[in-house]
Amino acid sequence: MISVHGRKEDFPIFNKKINGKDIIYLDSTATTQKPRQVLDAITGYYEGYNANVHRSVYKLADEATEVYEQSRSNVANFIGAKDNEIIFTRNTTESLNLLSFTIGDSLRRGDRILITSMEHHSNILPWTRLEDRGVIVDYAGFDEEGHLDIGDLESKLKRETKIVSVTHQSNVLGTINPIDEIGKIVKENGSIFIIDAAQSIPHMPFRVRDEYDFVAFSGHKMLGPMGIGVLYGKYEQLDKMPPFNRGGEMIKDVDFHSVIFEDPPIKFEAGTPNVEGAVGLSAAIDYLKVIGMEEVRRHEKHLTSITLKGMEDLKSVTYYGPRNVEDRGGVIAFNVKDKTNVKRNLEKNNVKLDRLYHSHDIATFLDERNVYVRSGHHCAEPLMRSLGLSGTARASYYVYNGEDDVKIFLKSLGELDVQR
Amino acid sequence: MSWTYNDEVMDRYQNPVKNGRMDDCDIKIDEASTTCGDKVVLYIKTNGNKIEDMRWEGEGCILSVVSTDLFCENSIGKDIRSIKEIDDLAFVENFPVKISPGRINCVLLPLRAFRRGAKEK
Repeated sequence: MISVHGRKEDFPIFNKKINGKDIIYLDSTATTQKPRQVLDAITGYYEGYNANVHRSVYKLADEATEVYEQSRSNVANFIGAKDNEIIFTRNTTESLNLLSFTIGDSLRRGDRILITSMEHHSNILPWTRLEDRGVIVDYAGFDEEGHLDIGDLESKLKRETKIVSVTHQSNVLGTINPIDEIGKIVKENGSIFIIDAAQSIPHMPFRVRDEYDFVAFSGHKMLGPMGIGVLYGKYEQLDKMPPFNRGGEMIKDVDFHSVIFEDPPIKFEAGTPNVEGAVGLSAAIDYLKVIGMEEVRRHEKHLTSITLKGMEDLKSVTYYGPRNVEDRGGVIAFNVKDKTNVKRNLEKNNVKLDRLYHSHDIATFLDERNVYVRSGHHCAEPLMRSLGLSGTARASYYVYNGEDDVKIFLKSLGELDVQR
Repeated sequence: MSWTYNDEVMDRYQNPVKNGRMDDCDIKIDEASTTCGDKVVLYIKTNGNKIEDMRWEGEGCILSVVSTDLFCENSIGKDIRSIKEIDDLAFVENFPVKISPGRINCVLLPLRAFRRGAKEK
């Protein structure tokens, strides 16, 4: 159970004061803070087990290999996968690039890849790199409230569409996409289905299903350390894929001009892996399991609901994405109308436009009140263009945020609302 | 509003003195920061290598707008070279309020545009 104040007591960073005041951290979509349990697990690894894994035959190396592989099992168990379907990467971006440089590279001129207009750059750029070889990248759009247009997705799903890669939850709009429904449509078309789950697995219950071929996510967005990410891949897919990086650990046998690769997942983990990262991520999963992912989701829905309601009472604040909290996660992109007496007019096609504060100005204004939000395009420039914006401010929540954080955030926004 | 956006900054944001196009300029520089969405055009009238007048048009955050407007005003009567040689740090320190490291690029926008686009004769 998460209290109305969140679980700040487990997170040492919240002992820190800036300008004598508490930190109101509202940027968990970018990265999350780390509980003591995760920090202890990382220190514990170096103090108790450190050796290189999968190599040496002495006892300490066995122990290091064991904690690394136990971490893999814990990740697998958390999302309902098998151990050998979990590849450790650096982050979601690397997981998706791994797919681009393996199955993506097997595509030919005229083949198509279908993504959506609400993707993060990390689920766009690995695919558009294939346009150089004549692969076509299509985008499914979204409606005014930020719901994915399933009809548009269906119409763009063609016989030539070999890969469909979709974000489970938008890092800007907060929209939770119906991946089960999409998965069914994609499988009927015989395409490979990839899910960018960077913003969903940390925040809601998630089990892999038969329709999902690949799922990518990051450790640092779910209380784990930076530099550890995951790629889930259906074993039959992983087995027929070529490796991504080549080098140490990922081989069974090497001769001067030939090589036999290891089986998945080791085939995709060339070089010394990030063992402290895997151990830290495993501890983060243990922490989340104690709370329960249903509870995490319930808590964030509650905070989102009072935030949206509070924002609706502020006349100059506009937020983006679905109005219904059932359809969205705890990430709220917003802008604030600039009601100051600015002499310069903003016009487009002879229509007077509302002047918005620049998102960086909103973020700096809130920063002065120790409220930390993200600003800019959130690594989703095509999405920003679809909205006709150059940027937004964005607040996002996690297990350590409580109603008190929301209150201070809304009060600070209120001060900007009535300025001048 | 607050210390970053003090009265001096907000007054200039609302009532910039060098905002507006200049049809008879000698140099026109288009500057855009794609990461911020800022778009600024500098219009410069020169006499030899001396700045006779400078104006700007565009959109940006409060800090880039104020910095650009101040830059236009303060550059009048100066040599192109002496402006290009202004040190980044000195330029930021000269801004009326203290800037956090994350916002330094906003303040540097006009100086960078000028360095790139203003050619000496």
